[in-house]
Amino acid sequence: MPRLPAPAILFALLFALSPAFADDGIAERLAACAACHGARGEGMQGAEYVPHLAGKPAGYLFEQLAGFRDGRRVNASMTWLVQFADDAWLREIAAYYAALPPRTHAADAGAAQLTPERRERAERLVREGDREHGVPACSACHGPDLAGLEPGIPATLGLPADYVVAQFGHWRNGSRRAREPDCMHGVAQALSPQDIRAVATWLSQQSNAQSIRPAPAGAFVPPARCGALDAEAAP
Amino acid sequence: MSLRRILFALACLLLPCVLAALAIAAMLFARQGGIEPFRIPHGERAVATDATTIASGEYLARIGNCRACHTVRGGAPFAGGRAFSTGIGTVYSTNITPDPAHGIGDWSADEFAHVMRHGVSRRGALYPVFPYAHFANVADADLDVILAYLRTQPASASTPPPNRLEPPADSRRALVGWRMLHYRPEATRIDPNDRGRYLVDGLGHCAMCHSARGERGSLPPEGHFAGGRIPGIGWYAPPLDRVQLERYSEQQLADYLRTGTSAHGSAYGPMAEVVYASLRALTPGDALAIARHLKQVEPAPLRATVGGEANDDAGSPGAQVYAHACADCHGKDGEGKPGAYPPLQGSVAATAPDATNAVRLVLYGGMPVATAGEPRPHTMPPFVQRLDAGEIAAVVNHLRRRWGARDSRLTAQDVESMQGIVVD
Repeated sequence: MPRLPAPAILFALLFALSPAFADDGIAERLAACAACHGARGEGMQGAEYVPHLAGKPAGYLFEQLAGFRDGRRVNASMTWLVQFADDAWLREIAAYYAALPPRTHAADAGAAQLTPERRERAERLVREGDREHGVPACSACHGPDLAGLEPGIPATLGLPADYVVAQFGHWRNGSRRAREPDCMHGVAQALSPQDIRAVATWLSQQSNAQSIRPAPAGAFVPPARCGALDAEAAP
Repeated sequence: MSLRRILFALACLLLPCVLAALAIAAMLFARQGGIEPFRIPHGERAVATDATTIASGEYLARIGNCRACHTVRGGAPFAGGRAFSTGIGTVYSTNITPDPAHGIGDWSADEFAHVMRHGVSRRGALYPVFPYAHFANVADADLDVILAYLRTQPASASTPPPNRLEPPADSRRALVGWRMLHYRPEATRIDPNDRGRYLVDGLGHCAMCHSARGERGSLPPEGHFAGGRIPGIGWYAPPLDRVQLERYSEQQLADYLRTGTSAHGSAYGPMAEVVYASLRALTPGDALAIARHLKQVEPAPLRATVGGEANDDAGSPGAQVYAHACADCHGKDGEGKPGAYPPLQGSVAATAPDATNAVRLVLYGGMPVATAGEPRPHTMPPFVQRLDAGEIAAVVNHLRRRWGARDSRLTAQDVESMQGIVVD
């Protein structure tokens, strides 16, 4: 048997024994992601359409990455980067960002103010939904604290209003599709543009000072069997 | 002179011209293959449908990369609709699923072989976006197994959008004219036992990207594997010949084809797609056969020359951008980091006569193909939001002067003209 030099063996041992070392490896590999989403997936100040990634459910992040690759989501920069990645690699990327602490942030002070009626309407949609139009409460799926549910439902906290409004537009026109049944497509169809703007603004005004993580899978049962609930967790 | 005499004199003058024109047309028509390509065969001929045949067909269809061109992102496999941008407009790939009305479900084996070989279907002559000049080399038996495999795929009733072409290219008859001017079928097929050449110049249709194009998108023999700008998309494909591939050993090149990565760098742009969709399925033997063949190809007459004098370009604005934006990964001497970041010394981005690949990589970065060779590839960040067009021009000029021996003089305007991500 050929003899390996001692430093190589030591190095291999270190690599095998230290998961932290592997983590450092992946951060370096994802320099392209960091350019927009931040070195630790914290997002970028002043970039409304580039969301944070840290602490989002791994299954959710994987579905989005695979969606950009497979045409269920439309964003040229994202598709450009992930188009030749296989599932295993995308799952690893998703798991990396999911494990990072969710971004803490204060309420978006720059967000437009809501009139008392719009505020009340937004809160009602978030907490109770709109039965007449078949819209469930946001909190029914995204959780009472809106921090999301593993493995497939993300937090709605910490997102700029313009980003949320843009996503509703994508759901409405089919350029953002989730696994079937695609519940958010139905919600986006049922809500008026005014309601979407009001909810998005209200959400952007909530703070997430405690860096709340998504609830563990099964912590509560959403009212509809959405495809997002079938998202597969980390590898 | 009476009118009659004038007409007679004119006729005497014109008749030889008309006859000469007819003779030339007849000769050109004969040279594009004569009438045979336009006679679509009829009648059924059974092809084998056993599991071995289907598996063999799946492999060959993968190497021919049928699916990549005949599928739109997120669409049903082989159902067509992918857009191909050409100098004369946009051509959409067709539905080749077994649907009899919208696909090729009612094509006989002979008709399928005829279309693959001649580029003429029952709808008329096909646009040469479809590489029939290459597929003409595929052996009968291989065409049969490919069809057998395609017939096992789910039928789709999807209809691709109509082509958007400028006159006269929008007419299928104009394609007969194009064939007369530019299409010269080979007299003999490649021997399938000459495996590397058979795959490269047959199913693999490598020359569709790696050759210099002639007039009206033609592929003249003197440009074969000379390298050039790929029509319709902002990428340059390098020459494929023994000079270009000198830095690869046969085994390195074979591994590169299957994994998209090598000590000299990773596949990017359209080649990354080819590795991802097609070449990673190559058997080790076929990959080696292709590598051996390519390393023997003689440089084509139209091949661009290698650069002139290398220039260290020290102290230039581009050298400063390089030092703070690129050197951490690619090394201060462009040597790269083995297993992580490719060297710029000798890279196509630096040495090519066309700067487009370097500019696009700096603008938009990239993630190499995830394959068995490198399942967790290192990515390159996009610099479009960190460097302005002038800085990008400067740094690309720097790396091309320094490691490509190119007298590169890109301007900010050149960089701006290359902006825009094409993903379809």
